[in-house]
Amino acid sequence: MAGARLRLSRVNESEERLLIEAAQSDPGRFAELYEQNFNCVYAYIARRVHDRSETQDLTSHVFHQALANLGKFKWRGTPFVAWLYRIAANAIADHARRKGRKLATDAVPASDNPAATDLEDCERRARLFNAVDKLPEDQRRVIVLRFADEKSIREIADEIGRSEGAVKQLQFRGLENLRARLSDEF
Amino acid sequence: MAERSLIDHLDDAVTAIIARRDADLAADDTDIASLAQVARELRGLPGESFKTKLRTELIRRGTMSSPKMKVDPIPKGYPTVSAYLCFSDAPAAIEFYKKAFGAEERMRLAEPSGKIGHAELKIADAVIMLSDEYPDYGALSPQTLGGSPVKMHLWVDDVDAFARQALAAGASMVRPIEDQFYGDRSGQIADPFGYTWIVSTRKEDVSPEEMQKRMDAFAQQQPGEGATQDEAPKQSSATYKREGFHTVTPYLTVEKAPELIEFMKQAFGATEIFRTTGSAGGLHAELRIRESMIMVGGGPGIKEMPTAIHLYVPDVDTVYERALQAGATSLFGPADQPYGERSGALVDPSGNHWYVATTFDTSEWPEELRTVTIYFHPIGAPRMIEFLKNAFGAEELARHQSDEGYVYHAKVRIGDSIVEMGEARDPSQPMPTAIYLYVEDVDAMYERSLKAGGTSVLPPTDQPYGDRNAWVNDPFGNVWYLAATIGKTGQ
Repeated sequence: MAGARLRLSRVNESEERLLIEAAQSDPGRFAELYEQNFNCVYAYIARRVHDRSETQDLTSHVFHQALANLGKFKWRGTPFVAWLYRIAANAIADHARRKGRKLATDAVPASDNPAATDLEDCERRARLFNAVDKLPEDQRRVIVLRFADEKSIREIADEIGRSEGAVKQLQFRGLENLRARLSDEF
Repeated sequence: MAERSLIDHLDDAVTAIIARRDADLAADDTDIASLAQVARELRGLPGESFKTKLRTELIRRGTMSSPKMKVDPIPKGYPTVSAYLCFSDAPAAIEFYKKAFGAEERMRLAEPSGKIGHAELKIADAVIMLSDEYPDYGALSPQTLGGSPVKMHLWVDDVDAFARQALAAGASMVRPIEDQFYGDRSGQIADPFGYTWIVSTRKEDVSPEEMQKRMDAFAQQQPGEGATQDEAPKQSSATYKREGFHTVTPYLTVEKAPELIEFMKQAFGATEIFRTTGSAGGLHAELRIRESMIMVGGGPGIKEMPTAIHLYVPDVDTVYERALQAGATSLFGPADQPYGERSGALVDPSGNHWYVATTFDTSEWPEELRTVTIYFHPIGAPRMIEFLKNAFGAEELARHQSDEGYVYHAKVRIGDSIVEMGEARDPSQPMPTAIYLYVEDVDAMYERSLKAGGTSVLPPTDQPYGDRNAWVNDPFGNVWYLAATIGKTGQ
């Protein structure tokens, strides 16, 4: 089920395969794979590493590793993102070892198939992040400033030149829209 | 709950979620609770600038690593050395090589006008690179330079079939396909763009030592051409002739030389090899039609000497039509002739007669004839044949005449060339003509031709263009420019 949903939510298999082969022969074309998979990888890491700059460092590391080792990737029918998750998982483990502590892995619900549920959750977040990009521009801007940049309502109001009430209103409408879009997909 | 307070309430929840103090949020409102769940998942939302920056980094690295990862310093499919040819009309050249040599076009970089900056052809395992002319970059074609010092060599499976295909596509034969002492069957063909191709098929493997032996023997056997009775020739057989020339070359003398040249190009696909204008305004040009050369000279006010030419072509009907379009008038349209060819006749705007013919035979032209043969129409053909024998050591090959001695047709060999002859009669009026005649010894031939009845116009003289020339008029009004190269073929 999870596997099927993973594939459904992404470009289809043969398209992805073409993208991979194109990037393998011309690394300049890696950008397309990056666009396809960025939100998933970021969500996967963000879910485990709660520090924003560490999440960014690890995401950056995963894509650089993927680019450098793209030639070794062999198509076996599993989605490309699964390969990226494996690189991410290793990177997170290394990162934790270097920091000398075990990372908190909160909010992972118990399941018979934790890996599948885990990936499903990442996919859901990736879809949410994609949905943010499609919000009306003023709502999108408020959501990004509030959640990605973790700014206060006052800071956002100053930055976009609107009242605090208007910013709260945009935040509310934005979250409503996102909720609606997520529920549309299921 | 009023919307206003709903919005504030949600923001309280969002603030707690961002600060990770959401564990103890009261979920007393299901609307707020579900929006707060969305907000919780948004906690990991990536920043815009981060995503863009990482993308830029990856593209830069990917692009930079591309050549390192993939590029072979010597690209596959290229031999180490390739000829790079320049053409005055590269697109036409590509079409020609496809037809003539079966070349395959691999790539073409063209300007919007179609001018080719770079193109590549594949002929078997060889790669030919080429471009149009770019004088600023030193890219000049043989037509602009007046020839190419470089020849290309092509190995082919069947040199005869290859040459036939090339000639049909518009190439000309420079040296006939023959078995060579070094074990190859080969010859030289010229393309219409000024390049010469040596084409060979190996018939026998010969060691270099054996080749040298055969070459020495070959040199000893050569008695030297021409009919002079002088002591053993000091030069090898052909060095008194310029490359590409035979003993006899018609010299068409007309007032409107540039127009005639244009006509020959359009009608017969002639290639202009050389053109110069003298200080007095006279023009001299050399054109090639397949393996044959024709000289054109003249200028305003010159005494015209129109000539009759027997011209063998692959398809007489096509050439006849082209000649009409190029400005010729018809003497008679193409028709099958009892002597084994289909021929038509035209007069060009300068008054030269062209007997255009295709043989029924499978060969390109009758065995001993070339593409271009001069056809004399003297009054008193038998006397003229005698003169040619006495003056130039000619040999009579064939003569068809009436009982009264009226010559319908005769063939006479002079050196390595043949001229044809038919008694002057309507519409073939006497057409005194000019002939450039390469001989081994200009001085001896000059003396001999005077004894045979010729009149001297110019005694043997070294010319700045690299030939020693003498000028003799024969009793039939023809002008003979006797010539031998003296040193380099500088023009």
